[in-house]
This record gives sequence, C-alpha cells and structure tokens, in this order.
Amino acid sequence: MLKNITIGQFFPGNSLIHRLDPRAKLMLTVALIVAVFLSQGFAGFALVLLFVAMAARMSRISLKFLVRGLKPILYIVIITFVLNLFFQSEGRVIFRWNFIAVTDGGLRRAAYMAVRLVLLVTSSQLLTLTTSAISLTDGLEALMRPLKKIKFPAHEIAMMMSIALRFIPTLMEEADKIMKAQMARGADFESGSLFKRAKAMVPLLVPLFVSAFRRADELAMAMEARCYHGGEGRTRMKQLRYGRRDLAAALAVALLIAAIATLNALGVF
Amino acid sequence: MPGTPFETRALFDVSLSIRDGEFVGVIGHTGSGKSTLIAHLNALIRPEPGRVIVSGVDVGQKGQSLIEIRREVGLVFQYPEYQLFEETVEKDVGYGPRNLGLPDAEVKVRVAEALSQVGIPEELSGKSPFELSGGQKRRVAIAGVLAMRPSTLVLDEPVAGLDPAGREELLKLIQDIHKGGVTVIMVTHSMDDAARLCGRLIVLNRGEVAFDAPPAEVFRHGDELVEMGLDVPECVKLVKRLNECGFHLPDNLFRMEDVERAILKEVRGC
Repeated sequence: MLKNITIGQFFPGNSLIHRLDPRAKLMLTVALIVAVFLSQGFAGFALVLLFVAMAARMSRISLKFLVRGLKPILYIVIITFVLNLFFQSEGRVIFRWNFIAVTDGGLRRAAYMAVRLVLLVTSSQLLTLTTSAISLTDGLEALMRPLKKIKFPAHEIAMMMSIALRFIPTLMEEADKIMKAQMARGADFESGSLFKRAKAMVPLLVPLFVSAFRRADELAMAMEARCYHGGEGRTRMKQLRYGRRDLAAALAVALLIAAIATLNALGVF
Repeated sequence: MPGTPFETRALFDVSLSIRDGEFVGVIGHTGSGKSTLIAHLNALIRPEPGRVIVSGVDVGQKGQSLIEIRREVGLVFQYPEYQLFEETVEKDVGYGPRNLGLPDAEVKVRVAEALSQVGIPEELSGKSPFELSGGQKRRVAIAGVLAMRPSTLVLDEPVAGLDPAGREELLKLIQDIHKGGVTVIMVTHSMDDAARLCGRLIVLNRGEVAFDAPPAEVFRHGDELVEMGLDVPECVKLVKRLNECGFHLPDNLFRMEDVERAILKEVRGC
C-alpha cells in the first residue's frame, strides 16, 4: 500500500527532458506554475495540459504514473471542489436544497480550482520524476547561490533537501518492512475506527522514528569521516552547463505563456 | 508495480512442501527471492499467480482470516530488533498475543515463557527495549514472535550482524525451539550454519528452486553453487581436498569435530 506513493520519486530515463539542465528545469517548472496561475479559464488550462502531456510523452513517463501521483492529493482536490461549489454564490442557481444553493458560477469556479490544483501538481511532478535528487539539489543550490550574499545558507539548505529526498524511498521501504513485521505479529492496519487505526500506527511510527534518528546519526558520522565541512570551497564533479535543448525548452514555455496571455487578452476563457 | 521499470519477478515456478517438524534452510544469493519466499508463508504477500497452503488452508482465499495464519506461522524478519516499539520489554513481547485477542492473564504467562525461552532474565522485562544490548534486543524481538506460539517459525537471517558468541547462542536457541516440536525454516547466508543445523536445504537461484535436498547432497554440487554466487562449507572444502590427496572421508561431515574424528580414524586406522 505504501508502494503507490510516487511524489518525489525519480523515474529513471535518458530522454531529452531527463537531460535538461536541472537549473533550467527548475526555472521552467516555476514558469509553468506561473502559466497555470495566469490562465483565467479552461482554454489556458487545456494548453498547459497539452504542454505537460507532450513533455510527459517526450520523457517516456507513462501517463498512468503521473495519474497515480495525484492520488495523495485526491482529497484536497475534492475538498477544494466542494468548498468552492457551496461558497460561491455568483450566477444562476442550478440546484437548491434547503439552505444549500449551487450556482453555475460556483460550479465553474469549483472546477476551475480543482483543475488548477491538479495541473500544479502534475507539472511539478514532471520535474521530480525526470530529475534525480542529486541534480535537483545541484540545480537548487546553483540557483540560490546569489542569495549567499545576504548570508542565506544556500548550500546547507540544498544539502538538507538532497538528504531528505534521498531518504524518502529508504524510509518508505523501511516503513513497509516494519509494517510487515508488525503484521506478522498480528497487527491490523486496515480495519477498525479512525481512532483504532491511528493507535495501530504507533507500532509502525515508533520504530520508524528510531531508525530515522539512527540513520541521521550514522550519516552525519559518515559525512564527517569523509571530511565534509559545508559548502565552502567545494568543487563538483558534474559542472552544470546550459545547452541548446535548455534554450529550446525555455522557448517552448515562453510560447506557452505568451499563448495564455493572448487568450487572456482576447477574453477567451 | 507491473508495467513500470520497477517491476520485478521475484519468484517463478517454485513448488515445495514443508512437513511438520522439519528444519529447513533456505539459501541463495542476494536477490534470489529468499525473503519474498518467506513472506509468502504467512500471507504477507499473496502469490499471483499461485497458491500457498498452510495446514490445509489456502492462504490466498478471499475472506480467510489472516490472523489465524499468522498465529500458525511466526515470521522473524531480518534485524527484528528494529520492530521494537513499546515502553517495556514485557509489553513489546505481549504485542503479538494481545493482537490475537488473548486475555491479559494468558498474555502474561506467554510473555514470561517466551522471555525465559530466549534467555532474557526476568528483571529486564520492566526495562525499555531500547536500553538493551543488540543481542538482547534481537532475542526480545524473537520472543515477541514466540509468544504467539506458532507451530512453524520462519527466520530471515537471524544471526546477521551478531558477534560470534551471540551467533552461537542464538543458533543454539533456534535448535532448542526446533527440538521443542516447532517446524523451523531459516534463511541464511552461512553455508556452515546451513550444513550444520538443517535437515534439508532449499537453494534458490534467480527466483527458482535450484536444489531441494539434504545438505550432503546439495553440497556435492559445489561448482554449481559457486556459479550461483554461493559457496560450500569450509568442512566440505577440507574433506574434498583431503580426498583428492588420497583420503577416503565420507562427504556428509559438516562439523569440524566430525571431520577431525574421521581423519584420526583413517590415519590411525581404528
């Protein structure tokens, strides 16, 4: 059951998208998110969706995988949809029951918010699925480097992030193992009331925390043993370099944003 | 996850039956499917396709109570000490029996019995399991499974990471459990332990059963074992070398004492 979580997971490959410079990919993902926020209607969303689908196709990530990644936010999407549906009272009423009224404006707004949320997650998923944790944090560090001037701990934050990302699958595996071990001792994680199920998590969470701390301790020791002392004067084996494909990708995203801006200007929603 | 690069086929065409009272060793190279095999034995993984039958009950059947199967087959994972979570040793060992829905008095009896079985002194039962030494933690974890009184005990590399004395102690304990009438299935990387303790060895290679026979017969296929990334016990190697030099020692000796006796016998001719 834990295997279905794909957030933050890297999908190995060697496609054009995989080989983009991580800095470019990061900035383009931000641009893509801007594009999502910029679109004022479904026409813009359709463009973004088309763009994301094309990128996913180029990266040879199966759509099924992208869709599965949406599972954890399913409830958030539903809650957003329902809240917007009931608390938006513009437009014509199309459904009424006691004090609850659903208007066409509300329906539109609800769908708009839900689609936006889905698109936001999908576009950022594209980044994590095609970029390994290492290059992702390399990119982040490079992008944050200018902030060092104002004493912003760019390297430390990048290192923390890369360690966190690196350990998500490890901890997940660990959780799966402990879960199985407790199930072998008759634990039941799946039935009973909410309270009972929450209580059933204790035998899973305690060992998981213990092992996370143990791992952190061991990792700190191993890093120190290899003379890690922070980012000062540290060189890298893989130098980041922008290439022609990064330019092409940037142009593609720029075109997308321009198209959405045009749609907005023309008033096509 | 079928259809993704993460898909793997861990086991294929595995067909075997284990009788009550056996001491079975499972050996195989890393990734040969040992852990997957044993997780099938108490329905942590359901075979697809395939069937696992425990005491006449089809594990994969819909609506089959899993707790019954897990009471029947106790599974001790690799590094079981990482599953400890309770405030006291006593509570932790009692977790399994409590999950079986046993009354408190019965739980207490079983906990005391399991702890004495694994040689944990009574005064430790009120302590936090996190304060114990590594070897003690492991024995407490094993007691947690024993307290469920399984008729079959499955252990995945029970002695991994222990010091030599701890290893011997734990193996002795497992032997005692077996003598008490419990069927034991043990995954191990040590050919010496496998040869010494097990009455039957199942050798897995790339998810398939390569050999399923008594140790003496399995270790006759030394070259094939080496090809699978395995090895033969030191005793077997020694006997083989000696026999090449003109000795006539039997090939079912897996203890250094036995080899020594056989050599002396041959040399002195008595």
